[in-house]
Formats: sequence, C-alpha cells, structure tokens
Amino acid sequence: MSIYLEAVGLEKSFGGLKAMNDCSFTIDQGRITCLVGPNGAGKTTIFNAITGFLKPDQGHVTFKGESLDGLSPQAIVDKGIARTFQNLRLFAELTTLDNVMIGLGGQVGEEPFGAIYRPFHTARAQAAKKRAALETLEHVGLADKASEYVRNLSYGEQKLLTVARVLATGAELLLLDEPASGLSHGALDGIMTLLRRLQDEGKTLLVVEHNTRVVQRIADDVLFLHQGHLMARGTPAEITSDPKLAEIYFGGVI
Amino acid sequence: MDFYFSYIVLAEIYVLLGLSTNLLVGIIGIFSVSQAAVFGVGAYIVAAFLMSGTLGFIPAMIVAFICCVILNILLALPSLRVSGDYFVVTSFGIQLLATAVFINWTAGTGGANGLPGIPPPEILGHTVGEAWEFLVLVTVATGLGCLAFGLILRAPFGRLLKAIREDELAVAAAGKNVLRAKVSAAALAGGFAGSAGGLYATFMSFIDPVSFDLDASILLLTMVVVGGARTLAGSIVGPFVLLALPHVLMLIDIPTTIAASMRQLIYGLLLIAFMLFRPQGLVGEKL
Repeated sequence: MSIYLEAVGLEKSFGGLKAMNDCSFTIDQGRITCLVGPNGAGKTTIFNAITGFLKPDQGHVTFKGESLDGLSPQAIVDKGIARTFQNLRLFAELTTLDNVMIGLGGQVGEEPFGAIYRPFHTARAQAAKKRAALETLEHVGLADKASEYVRNLSYGEQKLLTVARVLATGAELLLLDEPASGLSHGALDGIMTLLRRLQDEGKTLLVVEHNTRVVQRIADDVLFLHQGHLMARGTPAEITSDPKLAEIYFGGVI
Repeated sequence: MDFYFSYIVLAEIYVLLGLSTNLLVGIIGIFSVSQAAVFGVGAYIVAAFLMSGTLGFIPAMIVAFICCVILNILLALPSLRVSGDYFVVTSFGIQLLATAVFINWTAGTGGANGLPGIPPPEILGHTVGEAWEFLVLVTVATGLGCLAFGLILRAPFGRLLKAIREDELAVAAAGKNVLRAKVSAAALAGGFAGSAGGLYATFMSFIDPVSFDLDASILLLTMVVVGGARTLAGSIVGPFVLLALPHVLMLIDIPTTIAASMRQLIYGLLLIAFMLFRPQGLVGEKL
C-alpha cells in the first residue's frame, strides 16, 4: 500500500518553545490513527501544519503522493483533508443546518453575482444542498435539531455537529481534535460508534484523544508524541503497556 | 408637498447608504467608520462629470459605481490584517484623511465652499427636474439596492458572510475562500455608497465636505443601530426615523441657533440608548 499521508521532519518554534521537533510520521488509509501525548506535546500544532493553518519552519507533508506545502486551508480541504477544532468553533448564531451547509462545497450563489442575478437558480440549487446537509445531519444523529440554533444544543450535540461539518466538506481524511473529551458516558459511546461507522464507509481518521479507554476502543494505530517529536508508534495495547510512555504521559520527564 | 418629497428622497438615498454600512458592519463584521468618505467620492465624481459636461448622468453614475467599488475594496483591505478595534482606528484615520482631501483639494472639490450648481440628471434625453421625477428615480435605485441586499441575505453568500463574522478560521477550515467573500462584500458596499453619492449630488445640486465627514459616517452607524443591524428592514427603518428627527425638532419651539447641536446631541443619545437597552435596534438583530 502506498503511503497515504506522510509528514517528514516537521519543525516549528514559537519563541524558545519547539512545538514540533523533527516530527515525522505516516498515516495509513482507511484506519483510525490516534495522536496521543501529554499536554503541549504538539498535537494541535501538527493538525495546524497538515491543514495549512500554520506554516512549519521546516519539513514537508505529502498526501497521496502530492505535496501540501504552502497550500491554503481552503486548498487542503479541496484535496480531501478537513479538520475540527478542540474548541469547536461552531457558528453559534447560525442554525445546525446552516453550520453544515457552510461545509458543503460547490454552491451556487455563494458569491454576489450568482446570488443577485440568478436568484431562482440559486434557490433551486439550495434545495438540493439542503437535502445533502440533512442527510449528513441524519448520519450523525442530529436531524431533529436541524433548525435549532447552535447555542441551544448540548455540548455532546455540538461535538457531533463539528463532525457533521467536516463530513459535509466531502473530505476523505478527517482530523478530529478531541472529539470525545468532556462527553458523558452515553455521548461517548455514540461518538465512538460514529467514528467506527465513518471508518467502515471508507474515511480515514486522525484523532487527538486523551482518554486511554477511548483510544483502546477505536484506534488501529497510536502515535505517541512527546515534546513535538514522534516518540513511539504501535497498537493501542503496545503503547499503553509501555511503562516509559506511561511515565511521560503522567508527568515524568525523560 | 416638496418638503415631504425631499424628506423621502433623502431618506431613500440614506437607505442605500444604510445597506452599504449594514453589509460591512452588520453582516460581515468589518467595522467601518468611513462609509461617508466613499459616499463623498461617489458624489464628487458624478458632480465633476456633470458640471464639466464630459459625461452624461448614467455613464457618470457607472464610473462613480466602479470607482467606489475599487475604493471600498482598498479601504477594507486592512481588515484582512487587523481585526476588530484596530480596524476601527484604521478606518477612522481613512475618514479623517478623506475629509482633509475634500476640504483642501479646492480645484477638484471646491474645498470648504463646496460645489454649487450641479445639473439635474438627464436620462434618455429627459431631464429629471421635478421633485416627483426624482422620487421615482431614487425609489427605483434604492429598490434595486434593497432587492440585491435581500437576495444576498437569502443566498448562500449571505450565510457565508454571517459565518465569516462569527469565525473566519472555521470558515477557512470548511474549505471556503474568506478573502474572496470579504472583497466581494466590500465591493458591493462600495457600489451602494457610490451610487448613493451620485444621487445625492444631483438631488441636492450642491455638495460640500460637511455631508461626507466623520459625523456623517457616525450618523450612518446610528441609522444602522437604531434601525437594526443585519436586516433589510433595519436598513430601511433607520434612515427614515433619524431623518425625521430634525422635522420633529422643528415642531418643538427651539431657537434655530441651537437646533443643529441639539440634533447631534439627540443622535448621540439615541446611539448610546439603543446600544444599552435595545442592541437589536427597532427591527434588527443584536450587533
């Protein structure tokens, strides 16, 4: 199998802090890869580097053999990679449905000329997009909340909505930043089932996750990150049984 | 009767300006305090062409429209780099700069004395001289502006602009081009303001820098706040309410010497009161 996503020698310094330090790893297609590591290990920085929100000082990222270097976040979504944010970043003053519709590509009337000169065409195209967005909401189990404003959703529902928004972009590689953190038991089961289902549908997932039980249940591969460097890679069982990694994770310094 | 015509025509011109300000400030969240400057540029351009006779009314309006589209894109560009409070300061500087040019570039703008004797519009060989004819012209122009504004709000473009106001980064993460959307909105707002300027110049037949200064920009913001941000109805109601104020003041017996400052005082109080007690305005959403 050819390499799906590859990062080689990523470096990024914020002042004296090295958020990424010669960071190299690969992700295999069709798998759920969990990115773990103590706070400040550089997990979100890696997300930012892959999705074009941050330019690494050095290093390269390739996706299906194509370089992503220097591409804008928009261009990277077009390539098929989309991300969520740890702090959700939903549009609170839009409805659930509109949040998803923002993610849908290829919309008619998303610029002033189409909107003003072809209103009927725009309205017809919108109806089709609305159906697509509703299907996406159904997929994550939020269809009954379509016309609710985001501020009226529970935290768990908001997390599901962030997943719906990346699904709407049609991306094949989904980068999910802590999709399970802060969720109740019931919601946790729901999101784990959803992630598994996405995998069955052919998506590849890179997931930042702190909860080791979640990692054990969903991950095919685990990347262990420490001080901006890939320290270990393995199955969940291998990573969690390594006493050295456990010590780093719970606050030891090596 | 002319008195009411004049009130309605002016209010409609300000509706067009209100759309411009609402689009930038209310919908996409570019807090511009220099929309009166763009309004002024449109007015001076149309005035200059009509007074020199080099262009007719319609071509002059088109030139003013295009110039103001370009100008407003340039003015909004800093908002791509600096956001929020910082942009207000930048925009404030732009407004002061524009006023300085309007006052000091005597050859082009007539300086503080202004430009008197701007000829009335001529459309297809017919001079729009009567008040009611002007009312029709301005109503058509403003109606088109309102239609465009309404269509945008309903279209995906409107949703994209609102999303950008809330979280630019999240919009980029959803695969949308934030820069293009912002530039398009700024262009449209510039076109509205420029057209309003041209109509204003020909209707008043006299323009001077006072109509396009910082007070005018703040009056526009007040109209949007009082009418209601982010809605078409708000952009229409605001100008009609605020421009009625001087007429209401006339009914009360106050000396003409303090009437102008009285008006400014009331505008200021209205702005504060609405921000505190009814931030969504009369018929709008919370700014």
